[in-house]
Order: sequence, then structure tokens, then C-alpha cells
Amino acid sequence: MYTCPYVPAQWIAAHGLQPHRLIPAPIEGASTIPRIEGLCPYARAFANDAAAGVEVTGIVLTTACDQMRRVFDLLVHRIETPAFLLNVPSTWQTVAAPRLYLDELKRLGRFLVRLGGREPSKEELARIMLDATASHPRDEDGVHGIPCGCGSGAPVAVVGGPLMQRDRVLFDIVHECGGRIVLDATETGQRSLPAPFDRRRLTDDPLLELAQVYFQIPDVSRRPNGELYRWLAAELPRAGARGVILHHYVWCDKWHAEFERLKEWAHLPMLRLDSEGRGEMDSPRVRNRIHAFVETLR
Amino acid sequence: MSETPRQITLQEWDRQVEFWQAAGVPQPAYGGPLGRHAADGDTRLLQLRYDNSRAALRLWNFLLTEEDRLRAAREAGRKLVGTMKDLGTVPVLAYSLDNLVAFYPDGAWWIPCVMEVNSGLLQIADSLGVDESFCPVRAMLGAFVTGAHFPIPDLLTCSVGATCDDFSAIAQRLSGLGHPILWWEIPHRRIPDPGEEATELPGGFSAPASLVRFVRSELERLRRALEELSGQTLDDDTLRRGIVQANHVRALLARLRDLAFTATPCPMPALEMLIAEMLAIHFCSDQDETIVVLQELLGEVTLRVAAGTGYSPADAARIFWVNPVADLQVMNLLEDCGGRICGTEYLFAHALDPIPETVPPLEALAQMALADPMVGSTTDRATRIVAEIRRFGAEAVIVSRIPGASHCALEGEIIGELVRAECGLPVLEIEVPPLTDALRPTLSTRLQALVETVKNRRNR
Ligand code: SF4
Ligand code: SF4
Repeated sequence: MYTCPYVPAQWIAAHGLQPHRLIPAPIEGASTIPRIEGLCPYARAFANDAAAGVEVTGIVLTTACDQMRRVFDLLVHRIETPAFLLNVPSTWQTVAAPRLYLDELKRLGRFLVRLGGREPSKEELARIMLDATASHPRDEDGVHGIPCGCGSGAPVAVVGGPLMQRDRVLFDIVHECGGRIVLDATETGQRSLPAPFDRRRLTDDPLLELAQVYFQIPDVSRRPNGELYRWLAAELPRAGARGVILHHYVWCDKWHAEFERLKEWAHLPMLRLDSEGRGEMDSPRVRNRIHAFVETLR
Repeated sequence: MSETPRQITLQEWDRQVEFWQAAGVPQPAYGGPLGRHAADGDTRLLQLRYDNSRAALRLWNFLLTEEDRLRAAREAGRKLVGTMKDLGTVPVLAYSLDNLVAFYPDGAWWIPCVMEVNSGLLQIADSLGVDESFCPVRAMLGAFVTGAHFPIPDLLTCSVGATCDDFSAIAQRLSGLGHPILWWEIPHRRIPDPGEEATELPGGFSAPASLVRFVRSELERLRRALEELSGQTLDDDTLRRGIVQANHVRALLARLRDLAFTATPCPMPALEMLIAEMLAIHFCSDQDETIVVLQELLGEVTLRVAAGTGYSPADAARIFWVNPVADLQVMNLLEDCGGRICGTEYLFAHALDPIPETVPPLEALAQMALADPMVGSTTDRATRIVAEIRRFGAEAVIVSRIPGASHCALEGEIIGELVRAECGLPVLEIEVPPLTDALRPTLSTRLQALVETVKNRRNR
């Protein structure tokens, strides 16, 4: 079980284990980690839902943010399920950074074998990657569907960190307020989907191709995070977005600090929605704010 | 040795300095009354109490004149390197070259306290979208915008990877404002897998040798950047000499800490010791003078210990302190409440350990960077804290939370659990904002209660 997009589902599947990208609900009453001032609600909800999961063989977290890294520290103290911390480098422009990521995937592989998985052959990994390339990303486990962008409402992009299941109500509210989401650039949306695999490279060295493709996922945590802006520069006009909603959880410093910069950069009307993870997206206050925002885009 | 140790106010210090000046007592070039810093806006100084030794005065004046030194260095044609989120690695590289001066922009962390939130830096950070949900280091953004607290460096480096989200996000914001940054990675330090080649690190942790090699390659990039900036070659011999010099600072500090944390009565107050420890990270923009300042402080403490003088009460509760305080006055407050410091972990314990001198210098620095308590698990950090508690004979632990800091939400829980399990000591978690005036009664009550608990336990 994992939630971070830098964990390749195909790598887990190639070990004969079932990958499950957990998008927390969160489960009511689950409190392996209590609500603590300063703790990201998403990180907490993930840890609690993962800990409460039955038939979970192992949990994979990553170092993409400090909050998750520290949640891992507490999780290994509190639960019996084996957990693994995948080191995802923040830098990406050196030769050493993707190599470190590749080494980490190999280490993850050894962890999966210890969990009862089998060491995958090159062919098996390649086959699983090919299958993934053939299937529509909308079918991928855990990832939210790509918005169809159809209809006549004001076109809006939603950008930000991951969305918990219940915060997906945001999409319906935008629709009900006369808008339509044309780009889901959240961590649980299109932005975090890996690019299609290259068939030739995949045949030569599937693990290397897997690592290269996943390592290129644009994210706010990258230093520098210019690739995220490059991705947005291509996707916002392609989707025809006329406004941007930035959603982030309170105490998520990485997205929080990005709002003003994104605003200066995008030259589009922006609305910031920060959530404590208590289901506030469905509140009248948020609904009114979205309504007012969509009005300005008409 | 100065007269009987006693804490004095800034006004008392200024009268004393005036007297010395009239008597022709020599002072360092940056010496003089502390009141001039308060007049310049560092108004928190008026609320603090200081050790009355000349060594302590020198320490304070050295700390408070860093900006002047940086501007003078630039005027003298030296290049300035801002080493962000770097607790003691790049400065060692930079100070190995004689035309570079490294400093620590993160030091702006304390400006909201020292200037009692009157600097306007937090308001600037707010306007840039970095509000009070971030740790006080956000003041650094304002300092870059105003250019009023340090000159804009010629090269800006920042370590990322296993660092706090606060700093990583703020540095990215800074980069977005047009300040180019050389990012370098310190990966999360993990426990080597069974059978994996491992390297023993300074301070007792170990790391996979592959991670040490990785950091070494990152430091190689930094070395090249510094060479380019300085126009000089930073070869291994030059760097080795730089390491020896840095180790000199660390050795002085180690002796100072040993004496200050173990002698009874306590020979040097918590506040001066906190400042002294900070010097190890970045040398306050003058490595040679750091050595002189620490030597003088160590000399004073040694004399006091030999003479059996220090601060009362002799039965003060022996406290181990975790994390630096955003409000310096809280260090005074602890002593007012009947405590004394016997061990600290101010987020940079590794910067106090000797850098290995028997391995190639970049390898040594890579090992040192990976020994940072903050890049490993909180359990590792807690384990080191437990070892230090035993070494210094602390009787209770205070985990001081830093408002907004991403690591503070969960670390207190883990540190507390381990300390209680291993040492059976009481643990108090408090939050210290840059100005604690409004919280003072509550904080005093909690500190006094901890001191009481410690004393009651002695009688059991
Ligand atoms: S929402 Fe932000 S803080 Fe929370 S887990 Fe994701 S990146 Fe980390
Ligand atoms: S105090 Fe903590 S959160 Fe703030 S910059 Fe330092 S390590 Fe980061």
C-alpha cells in the first residue's frame, strides 16, 4: 500500500504483489496517529488508513516531504505491518540523483521479496509495463479519473497536493457552481501520472525505463521545481483553463508556499482552498467561495 | 577571571564598558557597549540578562556585529557565500579558501525575537505567501527582500532532501524571487541493510557507504562552485587544513560544553552557551575570531570551575534541552525557575563532533553531513539524546517546539517515548514563539512544575 506517485505500481506488481494506491477516506475513528497541531492531515489520514487496512502486507512511504518521512518514523513504532521508506531525491539535474532513485527501487524490490514477493524477471516487468501503457490511466489503481472537460461551464484547473476521497466533492461543487474542471493537476490527478513508457528502452532495460519515467513526474517537492511550472505551462493552455484553484492541506508547507508564486506566474484568476482534512470542501463557506470565483470567470 | 559570576542587565553592562573604556582596558575592534545594538533596533537585548564576564561580552559583541563583518569583507573584495540549511558543511569548504566568507542566512530565524517583531521581516514573508504556519526562519525571506540584515551573497547554496519542509519551501520561494540557488542533496540517512557496506559516521550513527559516496559527489559539485567563485583551487591539502581549523573550533566547544554542563555550580548561563554553540555552525563570518572568542570563554569557565564559583542554586534541576528557542529570553527563564542546562541538542549535534581527519577530506565532510541528526530518523536522534542525557547526568528533558516547524509535530512524541523508556526521566514539551511575553506566566508555571518534579524525585 502506498500513496506517493513516485512509487511505481508496476514494480510492486512485478514482484507478484498487489499494488494499492491508497487515497485516504479518512477512516473515522482510526487513530494510530492522533490529530496533532502542525501535522499534515493527509499524511495522518494515510498513516491511519494504512494502519487500519486488513490484508496489507507492507506499506511504502517516501521522503518526498518531511511530514511523510516523520510519519514513517512513528508508524514503524506503532504498527506491526512492515513499512518501507523510499528515498526520492529532491534534486534531479545531476546524474547521481536519478541513479539514487534507481538504487532505491532495487532496495524496494528486496523489501518486496522479504514480504513474500518474487524477484521479477526482466521479461515479466516489461510485460507489466507494456500492459500499463496499453491501459487508460483512468483505470489505474487509486488515481482519480481525468476530467472530461465537457460541458459549458467556466473552465477551471485544480492544482495542488493530493486530495482525500471526500475532498473530491470539490469537482462536483465546481460543476454545481457553473464551472467545469478541465485539468486535475493535483497529486492524485493527471499531473502525477507517469508518462508512457518507451517500448524500445523498456525492452532493453525495463527497470531503468521505469525509474526514468517515474522520476520525471513533475512535483512541487523538486528542487528546483521548475519542471512543475513547465508542465503547467503546457497543460493549462491545452486544457483551456481560465482560472486556477489551488488546493492544499494546512501544514503542507510545500504547496502553501507556492500559492503566491503560482499567482504571479500564471496570470490567471486564482482561488486558494486550504483544508484541515475535516471535510470542509463540502461546507457552505467553501461552496460560496467557489461560486464567487466561478462567477468571475464567466 | 572576572568578578563573581552574576547575571547583569544590558544597562549594567554598558556602565561597565564605559568604565573600562575610560580606564583604557583594551577591547576587540567590534567591542563596545551592547546598548548600541539595542539602539539599532535589537530591543530584545534590553530584556535579557547576561553573564558578567568579559568573555561573555566579547561573545555578544561578536555575534551582534556579524553584518558589519560581512559588509567589510565584501568591501575588501572577498566573496560571500550564503550557506542555507547547512549546519556546518559548506562553511568548512568555504573557509578553506582565504577569499571566501560563508555565512548563514537562516540566522534570520532570530531576528523576530531580537528585534521584538519590529523588523517588518515577518510582514514581508506574509506578503510573499509564507505566513505563520512556517517556522520563524521565514524572516529570512524578508531579509533577502530588504537587504538590510546581511548583504546579498555572491553564491547561495541550500541543502535539500532530508530537510524540513519549511526551509525547502521558503528557499524555493526565494529562488522564485530571482535568487539563484545551488541546491545540493543530503538524502535521508537510513540504517544499512544486512550485508550492505556501511560507514561509521562521526557521532556514532552509521550509513550505507553508497549514501556517503552520493553526498561526496554532491560536495564535489560544491567544491567546483566555490573554486569558480574564489578563483582559487580547493585541493585536498587546502581542505584538510580547513578541516583541522574547524575541528579546533569544535574541540574548544566540546571542552566548554563538558565543563558548563557538568560542573557544580554551573559556571556559564544557558544563554551564553546557546550562542557559543551556534558559532560552530558558521563561525559568525570569521573563523579565526570565533576561535579567540571561544578560547576566552573557555578560559573564563575553566577558572570559575577551578575556583568553585558559578551560579546558584547549587541544586538546580539538571535539564537537557532539545531544539533551539525562538525567544532567547526563555533561557533566562529556565534559570529563574530553578533549572540549569546539562546537555543540549539544538538540531546540529553533528556540527559539534570532530570531523574525521584520517580519511580523504571530502569523504570526511560527506560523513559529517550525513551524521546530521535531522537527516536520519527521529529515533536515531532520540537515541543520541539519550546517550547525551546519560553523559551529562540530566534529570529531565525539555523538548521545545518551534512554531510551524514541520519536524516538531511528531518528533516530541518519539523523543519523549524513548527518553521515558530508556532513562525514566520526566519530559516536558513546550512551544516557544519568537516573543513569549504573553506566555510567560504559563511557561514559568510549567518550568517550575518540572523543576519541582525533579527535586521530588531526588528524595524518593
Ligand atoms: S499534502 Fe503536503 S505535507 Fe501532506 S503528505 Fe502531501 S506533500 Fe506532504
Ligand atoms: S527550525 Fe526546524 S523547521 Fe525551522 S528551519 Fe530549522 S530545521 Fe527547519
